[in-house]
Amino acid sequence: MRGIIFNIEEFAVHDGPGIRKLVFFKGCPLRCTWCHNPEGISFRKELMVSYAACTGCGRCKEVCPNEHCTACGKCVEICPQRLRKICGQEFEAEDLACELLKGKEILLDSGGGITISGGEPLAQPAFLFDLIDRLKPLNVAVETSGYASPDVFQRMVSMTGLVLMDIKHTDPAMHKRFTGVDNRLILENLEFLCRSDTDFCIRIPLIPGVNDTRENMEETVLLIRNARCLKRVELLPYHQTAGAKYPMVGRRFEPGFDLNKKVNIRRDVFEKNHIQVSVL
Amino acid sequence: MNPRIKIMLNDVFQKKHHACRQQIGPSVLRDFTISLKEQKLPDILRAQKRLTWVLEREVPVILPGEKIVLMRTVPRIPQIFTEEEWAGIKKGHYIHELGRICNISSNYRYTIEVGLEQRRREILESIEIHSAQGDEQGVVFLQAVLHAIDDVENLADRYAESALKSGRDDIFLLLKKIPRQGATTFHEALQFFRILHFTLWASGNYHNTIGRFDQYMFKYLKNDLDSGVLDDDTAFELLEEFFISFNKDSDLYPGIQQGDNGQSMVLGGVDEDGNDAFNLLSEMCLKASLELKLIDPKINLRVTKHTPIEVYDLGSELTKQGLGFPQYSNDEIVIPGLLSKGYDLKDARDYVVAACWEFIIPGYGMDIPNITALSFAKVVDVAIKKHLETAKDFNFFMKGLKEEMKKELETMISGLKDVYAEPAAFQSLLMNGCVEKARDISVSGKYNNYGIHGTGISTAVDSLAAVKKYVFEEKSVTAEELIHAVRSNFEEADHFRNKLRYDAPKMGNDDDFADDIAVELLDIFPELTGALRNERGGVFRPGSGSAMYYWWHVKDLDASADGRKKGEPLSANFSPSLNVKVKGPLSVIRSFSKPDMKKIMNGGPLTLELPDTVFRNPENIRKVSYLVKSYMDMGGHQLQINAVNREQLIHAKNHPEQYKNLIVRVWGWSGYFTELDEVYQDHIIQRVELSI
Repeated sequence: MRGIIFNIEEFAVHDGPGIRKLVFFKGCPLRCTWCHNPEGISFRKELMVSYAACTGCGRCKEVCPNEHCTACGKCVEICPQRLRKICGQEFEAEDLACELLKGKEILLDSGGGITISGGEPLAQPAFLFDLIDRLKPLNVAVETSGYASPDVFQRMVSMTGLVLMDIKHTDPAMHKRFTGVDNRLILENLEFLCRSDTDFCIRIPLIPGVNDTRENMEETVLLIRNARCLKRVELLPYHQTAGAKYPMVGRRFEPGFDLNKKVNIRRDVFEKNHIQVSVL
Repeated sequence: MNPRIKIMLNDVFQKKHHACRQQIGPSVLRDFTISLKEQKLPDILRAQKRLTWVLEREVPVILPGEKIVLMRTVPRIPQIFTEEEWAGIKKGHYIHELGRICNISSNYRYTIEVGLEQRRREILESIEIHSAQGDEQGVVFLQAVLHAIDDVENLADRYAESALKSGRDDIFLLLKKIPRQGATTFHEALQFFRILHFTLWASGNYHNTIGRFDQYMFKYLKNDLDSGVLDDDTAFELLEEFFISFNKDSDLYPGIQQGDNGQSMVLGGVDEDGNDAFNLLSEMCLKASLELKLIDPKINLRVTKHTPIEVYDLGSELTKQGLGFPQYSNDEIVIPGLLSKGYDLKDARDYVVAACWEFIIPGYGMDIPNITALSFAKVVDVAIKKHLETAKDFNFFMKGLKEEMKKELETMISGLKDVYAEPAAFQSLLMNGCVEKARDISVSGKYNNYGIHGTGISTAVDSLAAVKKYVFEEKSVTAEELIHAVRSNFEEADHFRNKLRYDAPKMGNDDDFADDIAVELLDIFPELTGALRNERGGVFRPGSGSAMYYWWHVKDLDASADGRKKGEPLSANFSPSLNVKVKGPLSVIRSFSKPDMKKIMNGGPLTLELPDTVFRNPENIRKVSYLVKSYMDMGGHQLQINAVNREQLIHAKNHPEQYKNLIVRVWGWSGYFTELDEVYQDHIIQRVELSI
């Protein structure tokens, strides 16, 4: 099965136990305004340019045969500083597994494995399942927004050792406003996850003024406090660099919230309910 | 940290004690040198008189609250030859660096144990034997050693008197016992070490390493803890004070850059029976370094396949501080490597690191492990220009390369004739066998091998990978075109240069295409050096360190086939090329463990940069530990990790005044970032930019 990814990170330390390789699936149905991986939004290959060091020599323009970018890669080759790249690489699941399994002893010895992130991994379900099958004996974790059809979600849960699932907002209207989609499906899947025997962590990106309220945290607790295999809640405070990559893929960063506002980190709400919490 | 230590640490940072330094004008130094010449003294006596000159001029200074004394007030040490005389000596001899004994490891253990009076008796006995044999030269040497002992005892006496006057009876009593008698307590042993180490520096010797401190000092610590003389806190406080003492005079020590002073301490590893010898003191040293965050002593941690992950965790915690150490070395690789070069098992198991990373033997090694450096990049460059057009395939080309490497090595070592170093009587006292044989250590030791660094290994591998792929396999470029491109510094060939630089296979990406070439190259190097002998009957030791050669060696070098433009530095130490963005640390450790590092036994670490954010919590510290352990399990020999923050470095470069204490690893040592020359600052920033 074929799919598209945009990066492999080799020593991911924040995404599950032990030493992990982290593979990013390309393409996401959500449009979170704070997304810090804008190159993971589109399902297609796209040109990515690092403008900071560009001297404006103009060779990229000289070689460009198209009026609109087709990600043909001609300008990539000519850039003397290689500030351009084609973001997005298509893989057969078999080949990707082979690449990820390189050095698997290191991953095994440290109690680590592979974490599949994105983008949204569940948006390429056949590719995802094929890949997970081929990653044995490694521990596989999937990081997801939970926005997927229940059968896809449930199958993923049954196949993985660890799920890292986001709860971005408990309020449907706010969820829709800041991520572009309704959270009904997500909450339904979360319910399943809470009942399942698969270990999972809940991740909450803390966005100032959007979801860092006490009320939202308390609502979140209500959703997960009876979960069977919840390992912990991980809070990821928004940080200023999130907008850095938008111009690189020709997008505008329009967060729709006050970037300079201080984030509220409400550990106590979870601690009070005996839920282990850590700030990443 | 105990308040007394905090004050002491702060005072050293403020350099308050520098106020005690004497003003000694250049003419005073010159007059002394001229007087030596006029007396027509042989070199051994000149060196001995220099030590007397320095130690007699020393004025005792006991800082408030200090329990371990001795600091330099004489900031400069005179030469023993006039410039003219030195020029004459240089004509007839190969001179390594400053021409003084350096970069070896003393046997502190024995002298601390028995005391100088016992050593004096040994010398007198030896004088009797050697005068009976008519060995005049030997007797002159032994008398010089006796003089050195006199000088040291005199200085200790003056410190004792000064202590008495200032009401420091504790110091008075301490110095009335040692250094004449051996130490019994931990405090005495630390003070004794300070005296010996201080005297080495005062003798003009440099890169005076510390060695296996946790091994030779442990018994004193244990006795004191067992008998209640010390408890955990008082012992730790003494140790921290001792660590601070390494930083009092270090700005006076010779080195390429500030910080390059060779005060390396080695912890852990196996004992002479092969059992793991990591002990309580090893752990205390790691913790003291962690708490003090000082660049000296520089911590090295020996590991074995049995080293528990918790010990690596102590190392990772220290790495987190950004000091650039510990540097790890792997007993499972280093010891067999030393054995293969003729070192005895007992000695090999006792190895330490020299100033940077070279594996040497305390007390026995008079190796010069950094005598020269082979530029792999140059060898590849010559081979391409001479053999590429006629080679019918890559294997054939590699045969040509081997010939060129052989020639280069022969040319290099042909210059290493009549090596001369100034005699070093006091240093000889601390080297095994010198007193019995009545021979200065500058003449020879038990091991007299020379080390050859290997510079630009990745640059060479990457260049060869490009040649193999584009010239021989794809045939997308001819030999002639490649040679022209390199000679012309890729003028009018940007597109081709980009392909070489960014698209060709690179070492560090766990790509067998490149890594197999590394394996081959690092088999040829030891094979060729294996046949060579030096004038002292020693062998040559191939290594993977670059030191500053990664920069020096580019001066006369064209652009290279990996797309490196003329003037850009080579890869530093055993690390990916500076201009390559690799896949990640797992690929790097896999690539760099493929060559048989037992053969590259001179040392030279793989250097990894990790962002400081990795070290945020104990879970992640453990992950770093596993990364280190993995490299060792796969057959890595030596590793050093930098915890770095790019923005901070750039800011520090522009605002040095705000970053006086920012420490970075340079090549084999850690130094203060803002004290480095700009070119080194820039390389460090470049390395960080390419890190993951």
